[in-house]
Amino acid sequence: MLRAWRGIASERAFNGALISALVLVTLFFVGLVISLISYTDWNTFIAALLSDEILFAIKLSVITATIATVVSVLIAIPVAYAISRTEFWGKDIVDSLLDLPIVISPIALGAGLLIFFNTPVGAAINSNVKFVFAVPGIVLAQVTVVCALGIRLLKSTFDSVDHRYEQVSRTLGCSKASTFFRVTLPLARNGLIAASILTWARALGEFGATVTLAGATPMKTETLPIAIFLSLAGANIGKAIAVIFILIAIAVIALLLLRKITGRRYQI
Amino acid sequence: MIQIKNLSLVVGDFSLRDINLVIGDKEYFVILGPTGMGKTVLIECIAGLHKVKGEIWIDHENFTDLPPEARGVGYVPQDYVLFPFLNVADNIAFGLRKLKRPKGELKGRINALSELLTISHLLKRDPRSLSGGEKQRVAIARALASSPKILLLDEPLSAVDIETKTRLWEELRRIHSLTQTTVVHVTHNFGEAFFLGSQMAIMNDGEIMQVGRPTDVFRKPNSKFVADFLGMRNLFQGVSVVQNGNAHINVDGVDIVSAVNKSGNVYVSIRPEEVFVSLRPIESSARNSFYGEIERIVDEGNIIGITVNVGIPFVVSITRRSFDDMGLRIGMKVYLTFKATSVHVF
Repeated sequence: MLRAWRGIASERAFNGALISALVLVTLFFVGLVISLISYTDWNTFIAALLSDEILFAIKLSVITATIATVVSVLIAIPVAYAISRTEFWGKDIVDSLLDLPIVISPIALGAGLLIFFNTPVGAAINSNVKFVFAVPGIVLAQVTVVCALGIRLLKSTFDSVDHRYEQVSRTLGCSKASTFFRVTLPLARNGLIAASILTWARALGEFGATVTLAGATPMKTETLPIAIFLSLAGANIGKAIAVIFILIAIAVIALLLLRKITGRRYQI
Repeated sequence: MIQIKNLSLVVGDFSLRDINLVIGDKEYFVILGPTGMGKTVLIECIAGLHKVKGEIWIDHENFTDLPPEARGVGYVPQDYVLFPFLNVADNIAFGLRKLKRPKGELKGRINALSELLTISHLLKRDPRSLSGGEKQRVAIARALASSPKILLLDEPLSAVDIETKTRLWEELRRIHSLTQTTVVHVTHNFGEAFFLGSQMAIMNDGEIMQVGRPTDVFRKPNSKFVADFLGMRNLFQGVSVVQNGNAHINVDGVDIVSAVNKSGNVYVSIRPEEVFVSLRPIESSARNSFYGEIERIVDEGNIIGITVNVGIPFVVSITRRSFDDMGLRIGMKVYLTFKATSVHVF
């Protein structure tokens, strides 16, 4: 009897600990949003939202993140497929190297890029297409940071495509390449869309590498995260809050879209 | 003609060893063996899905190093592997699109195939919504679309229930005679091999044990493995006469009663677990009762297989409990009883 009680008590205590962790985390984020709302002066909020500077930042962010996503996915598809389907010497090393950009601080990547453009080769490239402190630099910084994420997501997508579909396609007369386009890509469709959405959302929020390579020039290289940085630096809290809400709204829409397209099955 | 010469292959912890096989044109060739003994891998080799040692020749041409798409071999995998992003019609047309035929011809081909396989009403459906038997037909139609000379079937009927199964055997036989394709069919079901095969090979542990006509292999097994493997299934050939609503099948002088009304030359099979063993005759409504001597006892743990000779050898499975209760030994005489409905006739 006592043992049973002890068992029940310990189970209750454990469940209680789990639930309080959950409640604390939820309260923390809800609290953040409430503090933002309580700090908001709605007139400045609307004015800031419709200001030329913020509209510019929204436009620049959406355009650069979209280009960066297209470039990243185009790079990630062949790379991820190669890692998922082929065996070659040093595959493990390459695989681990490709994880590095996910865990390295973006500012380090940005600094690396900046230093690269100071080498003779980098300088030559930069004199043709200007990356340093310019808009193409934003795209390059975003691609550098998010490409690895795209590769990782697409690799798990390709891993989950049963290779028997590809084998059957081959026996039906399709070459390896044609099988890739007619069978593998359609089967990977949901994963591709999900990876694109996540990559885009991540690129949109990219700050560290972008600010290091492209700088933080208002109305020139001012993406949404940089707008927050500039607003805070100029002590314009109202404007910063407006941009924060824009980023939250975009993130929520992206996640809802992800759920809608892939069902609940997609794991990040 | 398919010629397999000294084929060897290691996949993981499994291997095919020194396979030699000749499969004639228009043959219905069945590869029979216990599950997981290399049959699937062997037909995958013919389809070109593995790099192998040895040689595979088709119609006097060396196919060993040809990629699957260059072989022109139709392949129906065990789990059908229908493309989930295409409807039934597009699945069937998959291999045809590659050939870039005019649209009308494509449509005509799909219609002809779906009529052959009686799936015309399914063409617009999502393959994921089909039953096992329907999926199988679609997969066969897809494999036949570009008129391959060889059709490979991997356990095509493992997912369908037993009644549908016998009906589909007749279907496969009909399709084979209409298309005149060489069929290589893998199964672990002896009835299937017996019914469909014009030739068969018995495989075990990555090796071919015996090749021949099914009746010959059954009558003259060349090894203990083949004998054991085939003996486990009470399968006999006999002549059936229907009397008073029941079929009486004469198998080597033993009269077996079945509820299936089919007359003429037939095959009979009785599942070993449906035969009741007793030391004394029992009163029951079961129509079949025989008396004979125990010739063999195979201990499989909880289940024990015994072979009783009642004029023909019957294999019976009983539980260890009843085996111990009756104290059965080789040489003892027992009664075997089973219902007319337990006798499968085809």
